[in-house]
Amino acid sequence: MKIPKKYKIILYGLLGLFSLYFLLPFVWVILAALKTEAEVFSFPPKIFPDVPQWKNFVDAWNSQPFGTYLKNSVIVTVMTTLGQLISCSLVAYGFARYDFKYKNILFVILLATMMIPWDVTMIPLYMEFNMLGWINTLKPLVVPAFFGSAYYIFLLRQFLMSVPKDLENAARIDGANEFQIFFKIFLPIMKAPLILIAVLNILSVWNDYLGPLIYLQDQSKYTLALGLAAFKGIHDLQILPIMSITLVMIIPPVVIFLFAQKYIVEGISGSIK
Amino acid sequence: MKLVKFKSMFFLFIATLLLLAGCSSSSGKDSDTSTDGKVKLRFATWDVGDDVDLQQKMIDKFNEAHENIEVVLEAYGSDYDTKITAGMGAKDAPDIMYMWNYPQYKDALEPLDSYIEKEGADYKDNFYEALWNYNSADGKILGLPVGYTTHVVYYNKALFDQAGVEYPKAGWTWEDLQDAARKLTNKETKVSGFAFSGKPDPYDFEMFLWGNNASYVDKDGNLKGNLDSKESVEVFEMFQNMEKEGIAITTEGSGSTEMKSGKVAMFVYGAWGLTPLKEAGIDYGVVELPSFKNGKSVSILSSSGVSISENSKHKEEAFEFIKFWSNEEANKERIGFELPVLKSVVESEQLEQDEIKSVFYSMLEKSEGYTPASFIVKDWSRVSDNLNYVFESIFNPSTLMDPKEALKNAAE
Amino acid sequence: MLSKSRKANGYQLVNKKVPYLFILPWIIGFLVFTLGPLIFSLIMSFFDWPITSSPTFVGIENYKTMFTNDPQFYKSLEITLKFAAVFVPLNLVIALILALLITQPLKGIKMFRTIFYLPAVVSGVAISIIWGWIFNSEYGILNYILSLIGIEGPQWLVDPKWAILTIVIASAWGVGTMMLIFYTDIKGIPQELYEAAAIDGAGLFRQFFSITIPCITPTILFNVITSVIAALQQLALVLLLTGGGPLKSTYFYGLYVYNNAFKHHELGYASANAWLMFIVILILTMVIFKSSSTWVFYENEVKRKGKKKK
Repeated sequence: MKIPKKYKIILYGLLGLFSLYFLLPFVWVILAALKTEAEVFSFPPKIFPDVPQWKNFVDAWNSQPFGTYLKNSVIVTVMTTLGQLISCSLVAYGFARYDFKYKNILFVILLATMMIPWDVTMIPLYMEFNMLGWINTLKPLVVPAFFGSAYYIFLLRQFLMSVPKDLENAARIDGANEFQIFFKIFLPIMKAPLILIAVLNILSVWNDYLGPLIYLQDQSKYTLALGLAAFKGIHDLQILPIMSITLVMIIPPVVIFLFAQKYIVEGISGSIK
Repeated sequence: MKLVKFKSMFFLFIATLLLLAGCSSSSGKDSDTSTDGKVKLRFATWDVGDDVDLQQKMIDKFNEAHENIEVVLEAYGSDYDTKITAGMGAKDAPDIMYMWNYPQYKDALEPLDSYIEKEGADYKDNFYEALWNYNSADGKILGLPVGYTTHVVYYNKALFDQAGVEYPKAGWTWEDLQDAARKLTNKETKVSGFAFSGKPDPYDFEMFLWGNNASYVDKDGNLKGNLDSKESVEVFEMFQNMEKEGIAITTEGSGSTEMKSGKVAMFVYGAWGLTPLKEAGIDYGVVELPSFKNGKSVSILSSSGVSISENSKHKEEAFEFIKFWSNEEANKERIGFELPVLKSVVESEQLEQDEIKSVFYSMLEKSEGYTPASFIVKDWSRVSDNLNYVFESIFNPSTLMDPKEALKNAAE
Repeated sequence: MLSKSRKANGYQLVNKKVPYLFILPWIIGFLVFTLGPLIFSLIMSFFDWPITSSPTFVGIENYKTMFTNDPQFYKSLEITLKFAAVFVPLNLVIALILALLITQPLKGIKMFRTIFYLPAVVSGVAISIIWGWIFNSEYGILNYILSLIGIEGPQWLVDPKWAILTIVIASAWGVGTMMLIFYTDIKGIPQELYEAAAIDGAGLFRQFFSITIPCITPTILFNVITSVIAALQQLALVLLLTGGGPLKSTYFYGLYVYNNAFKHHELGYASANAWLMFIVILILTMVIFKSSSTWVFYENEVKRKGKKKK
């Protein structure tokens, strides 16, 4: 598809404008991470540091056991992503491609679970995890993911709903069982949205910090997000470590995103025909 | 047939999950004792950064000296309250907790009077008297004092030098402060003479009322006739006038960010500012709070202590630890972060001679005998919320409510 | 009518239990991790529970207080609904525009795609600090830049008139997730639909409204519902950036509930607050969902139409 030149100018103009909005605060973070404390706070604002303080990154990383945090974050992120992919693909498929009794009411309940305010169910959930002996382990963060999350199930269902019905019916007539239809026909079709779900889940779990805050106790169990938050005290923030760890922390999700782009580009029905 | 295969796959999947759950609960941690038979104590702190490193070192020392106890540090930073509230709600609070807001948490804390009695009178007397009041609620001592700060005026020496204004000295008045602020304020270079919070924490702000012989409430907790008294209104008017005159700015937070910009000449803050301001490259001095014309220079205390959870299963051991945490050695270790609370340490370390730290101690001596409203009013967190809103409406530039009226309404 | 033809098309071949097997993981998860705490919080809403001590039964007292004796309840509800009314459409439109932009076959588009997604990756703690800096009225970056071009910037986080806008600007920064969802869906639209339309002489705008939009209605529905939920429960940003101020102008309902629970230690009351919001959201979602049958097209209906033309 060719784009006329006058449109191109408009498009680049828009892209540039939005980039400013998205990028400027970000650039400020990068610059701040390379400054001294005095330079960060000085007014009128100083744009560039006199001498880039690369050691800010090293200092920040070494000030807490971030190696351990990284390991925990990776475990939690990988496990939950795995869990979400398995269970959400099954559940969403069930909701999208079958008719069954109580389907509507069950689906409403599923949606409703997205609306439950976190504040008030947290304490009973804490009690439950405590009874199970899961407090101060990574289990409360990982295990629930293996039972699917409404957000991703709903999302995947929306994608699956727009796949033509003829697909599985043809397969059924050919004698394929439901299990085969799911694995052989639908899993390949779902590649793009499943990658999307993986990207979204990695993102939210990587940055989640209320969960770890409530369910973890000693430092050896902490995740990166919790380590980052630990730079923020009641009276003062340690601005340089916060900025540098923030920058380090965004690298893995961004790299994953870059890789995932390729698959997302294919879209969902790209593989139907 | 095929369906059976499908089903079995499914049940395998579910079974794995349940197994996973089952295993973990059987191998679940035992919060009482660690594997080697030691008593395990959880200790929660709100401190961050270097403070935590030091605390860990001190804990290691304690653990080495006590064969039967193992203390584990949990650092929660600014979300400390959320975390321990959740813990208390689920009856799984840490055994030992840093504490300052005693009225709020009193029901979940172990009263320590009987423990302290056993240590003898000298033990208790070595702490500054004023601190015990702040570590109690309903007449019961609920924590051992660990640190405290009074509030003082921080001033930026460079800005004073530039404007050719003399550094403030103890015994100065609010009028002196305003004069200085007037000279220091410079619209062109964006220098503000004085900064105070546009939505001050009512707990902190009460000290200004004390300085002018007023307070939020009387001893029965009545706001009326106190919060809206003539003296009280005067205080608010004074602050509001500084803002209207343009010699003071109101800040969004405590004011430390603004102070760090190097464009604010004076602001009131606790000892929390000592290190961060130095790191931000501000050459500052500190001086006692100014006094009111017919009043005094009084500061509120922001104190911290360590408390034992009421639900702890090892209170004796926990007390052993908090005693260690507030002993002379610990006070000395913490000296870079926290003002010592023991008279003997202040004496031996000659803090009375320290140019900066002595200011906090002389403020402490001047501030004895006041009880903050938070210890008197039953429902302080609600009342505080309302007061906060009223104060904000007095100082917010878009409203600038008349203090007299605003306070009168608030008192009713 | 549709479901009838579906049945004729092969549902009878499927064992009745099979669908339940597919959704079984979620059902178990719901029973184990969600239902219990949910019921617990409902029960708690009839108790007075100051967290540090034991709960006492008070009947419907919490609900009564909420409706008759707590002006902040109405204020917070109003602010939150207003915020959602502005934020949800705005966010959707921006996300859609961005998603369209990054599907254009332009040079360097991959870079822009990453730039737009970047902010969504930044953790909430850092976001609030960054915006706090930018919007500080005395010594903030934004007002400094404005002052360079001779504009006196507003007091973003001090003036109640501007504070809500500030929150909108700051939260729209994380629109990348929604953009990505739209993008994935748009990418799935078969190219031949556009080609056919182009042959028929449809311009870019016609193509957008008659192909792109109808094809992605399922994800639009998803994004509408999830962003309504997110907007009505918005907490992190106001908690960290404004604390509900100035003058309680950003005291959103989420913050109101959070403070009742964790600041005032009234967990029973907070549960009552939370349940009310739960019901409000549920009703809203149901309404949106009911309406969706008129504007959401599933099952390739549109795509088929396109193919016929071909």
